[in-house]
Amino acid sequence: MKNKIEVIKNETLSETIYKTVLSNGLEVYICIKAGFTKKIGMFGTKYGSINNDFIDISSGKRVDMPDGISHFLEHKLFEKEGDNSLDLFSKEGISANAYTSFDHTVYFFETINKFRKGLEMLIELVKTPYFTVENVKKEQGIIGQEISMYENDPNFNVYFNTLRAMYINHPIRIDIAGTIDSISKIDKDILYTCYNTFYNSNNMFIVVIGDVDVSDTISIIEDKFKLYKKNIKSDKVIKFRVNEPNNILQKKIEKDMGLYMPQISIGYKLLPIEKDEIIKREVISDIISEMYFSKSSKFYEIEYNKGAVSDDIDFIYEGTNDFSHIIISTTSPKPDMIQNDIFNYIDEIKNKEIDANLFKNTKRRKIGENIVESENLNNSYRRIIDSILHESQLYYDIEILNNIAIKDIKDFLNILDYTKAVISIVK
Amino acid sequence: MKNIYKVNDNKFKSIYISYNFTFETKKEEVPKNVITSLVLSKGCNKYKTSKEIEEYLSSLYGINFDINMEKIGDLYNIEFRLECVNKEFLPNKEDVLKPAIDFLYEIIYNPKIENNEFDSVIFEREKKLVLDKINKRKDEKLKYAVLKTEELLCNQEPFGTYIYGEVNDAENVKLEDIYIQYANLLEKSFVSIVISGNLNGYDDIEQYIDNVFKNELDKAIFNEELINISHKNIDFTTKIKEVKEKIQTNQAVITIGMRVENLEDNDFYALNVYNSILGGTPSSKLFQNVREKESLAYTARSRYYRFKGVFIIYAGIEEINYEKAKIVILKQIDEMKNGNISESELNSSKESLISDLLEWNDSKISLAKLAYTNAISGKSLTIEELIDNMKKVQLEDVAKVAKKIRIELIYLLGGEDSEK
Repeated sequence: MKNKIEVIKNETLSETIYKTVLSNGLEVYICIKAGFTKKIGMFGTKYGSINNDFIDISSGKRVDMPDGISHFLEHKLFEKEGDNSLDLFSKEGISANAYTSFDHTVYFFETINKFRKGLEMLIELVKTPYFTVENVKKEQGIIGQEISMYENDPNFNVYFNTLRAMYINHPIRIDIAGTIDSISKIDKDILYTCYNTFYNSNNMFIVVIGDVDVSDTISIIEDKFKLYKKNIKSDKVIKFRVNEPNNILQKKIEKDMGLYMPQISIGYKLLPIEKDEIIKREVISDIISEMYFSKSSKFYEIEYNKGAVSDDIDFIYEGTNDFSHIIISTTSPKPDMIQNDIFNYIDEIKNKEIDANLFKNTKRRKIGENIVESENLNNSYRRIIDSILHESQLYYDIEILNNIAIKDIKDFLNILDYTKAVISIVK
Repeated sequence: MKNIYKVNDNKFKSIYISYNFTFETKKEEVPKNVITSLVLSKGCNKYKTSKEIEEYLSSLYGINFDINMEKIGDLYNIEFRLECVNKEFLPNKEDVLKPAIDFLYEIIYNPKIENNEFDSVIFEREKKLVLDKINKRKDEKLKYAVLKTEELLCNQEPFGTYIYGEVNDAENVKLEDIYIQYANLLEKSFVSIVISGNLNGYDDIEQYIDNVFKNELDKAIFNEELINISHKNIDFTTKIKEVKEKIQTNQAVITIGMRVENLEDNDFYALNVYNSILGGTPSSKLFQNVREKESLAYTARSRYYRFKGVFIIYAGIEEINYEKAKIVILKQIDEMKNGNISESELNSSKESLISDLLEWNDSKISLAKLAYTNAISGKSLTIEELIDNMKKVQLEDVAKVAKKIRIELIYLLGGEDSEK
């Protein structure tokens, strides 16, 4: 084997990840799940809805793209001359799909016994764009319905309004799919510009999960890539970040959707941090969510008995090297009441001593949950993709869980600043 | 051992325990059953509040515990389910499975009852929660449209009832009903226990469960072919009903409800293939025509309810395209009926169904579900047998069942917004 393969083992979850970088710059991760029948293959690019401002790799010029183009491109890549790739996978009995997020796009397949075929088809899918005037037009109708579907979804609205209240310039404010208007500006030429820039091997990764042979898998990838050798220039991508102030845009956004049960979400805007620190914040937030907001918390019991909540309260950290925030969300017949109670409660727990027994038990719960969740193959790829995007250590989440101390919880609670908090309500 | 089913596979690290009460119910009884089981799950004599319960479960490395409710055709199932880690994977090899089983016993059979009444605070809370669930189902339009189709299609049968029941029935539930319903649940249900996952080091687990639950299991009825209840006499209408409902929305939903006439046990395989070809995968007729060819929708699918012999097709569309979408969808159903199905459609659908079946091997919950389905239908089908039977399905089998499928309802959930 000419490529150096790094082996990363985790004892707690009893799984092993093999990592290598091919000569074209492509990162490959293979996570072995012994005994499982399903195999997942993913081919992704570090390119998502927030990357509209960048240097076109072919011309060297700075360009600005319409909102929703990365998602549009994801849809369009499935279109091939005379065929739809989704259909081709489906005809083989392989299920395939893709998703676009703020900062990455991933194409994937799942199979039981056609792993080689699936992996070859996946690479072909991503490496052979076929954009035409007609097929771009057709997609505008389908994505138009996808946008309507999201507009109709209360969860989506309450979430995006939280982001829109928190962020002033950051493109995270913008729907991943764009708007009917912005996608009408997309044509085949600019799709190729985005494709050529971001879908070059240097900016991409392949992740495989399942009971597969490591060297065979790498050979399949290398052999398939030889077919597309000279397609596009492979280089580091230059993306521009906007200057985002620390303050929020507006305190509160409300929307009427004729709901029976209002949804509320509170966002705390934080300063971005990097790499392993992102993972650490995620783990801390998960513990806080369990200790202070779950159905077993005193707070939940009080709010429930007041009739102020009707479902779980979630306390979730979201962040990359580029943005950082906490989102607390629930459904409530009395959104104004729960909103005030949450703000007061956070101030209260900042200064309160942490119950050591509760903290110990919560850590035990999280250890158990990690083990149970490791049976789900999706969990393994999420960990790998997070590590690729954040450039953090693999399994840092497992490692840090054992080392989190009461002080870490306290320190984190104390960075939550009311003046950086926003409220989003959908009624 | 009677009513205890075990599935052992060492690739897992955890264990799933599913304690099922399966029973016949009437529409108006549904909320009573739901509230009763929720009340049970929120406190017992040993662990008085849901906070105490969760604290205890946290200390056992985060055992997941909840109640799952499901319609099995016209039958109703209440499942108390637990998920815990096998001791081999825990620090100091601490056993949490046996405490989990003991816990389940306390929850179900040692409830907090005083003077023939359950805890009124817990009762009021859970009743309100159920009412909220029923009322807020309209908040998600696509899901609501499918639920509404189930209701309209089978409005005289328990299957046509929302899983939490109807508002009026829920409002009428009183504290004293819970005590009666609890007794009913214990007396009139078919009880089955499934334990699946990594049972390494737990050779005696069935014996252990039997010791804990022995007296209760002896009392429980044993019904080998409960499931046949689902297939009894239905009057088929020949007229297609068209229903339109207004709601505040910016995307309309069209659904089509269909039923299988003279449903037979062996139709199961061909009907699944039928569903897959019609709207189960991206190469299906609905996806290819409604979405890819006509750009009418992002979501266009069909769903088959195996225990009821019902199909529901659903697509999110623009309201002005209703008539057009209707024509395109009806045409796909016609194509199925006329046997316009290619070999490649047949084969890829079978492949995809077989993949799904094989994938059950990766999930201790799917494996438990198969064991449960076998238990209530008095069968012992393995995944391999299911696959063999699926492989045998031919074009003429699909064409044959396609002719037994009747369209009964076309439904539109439309927007006030688009009329403004």
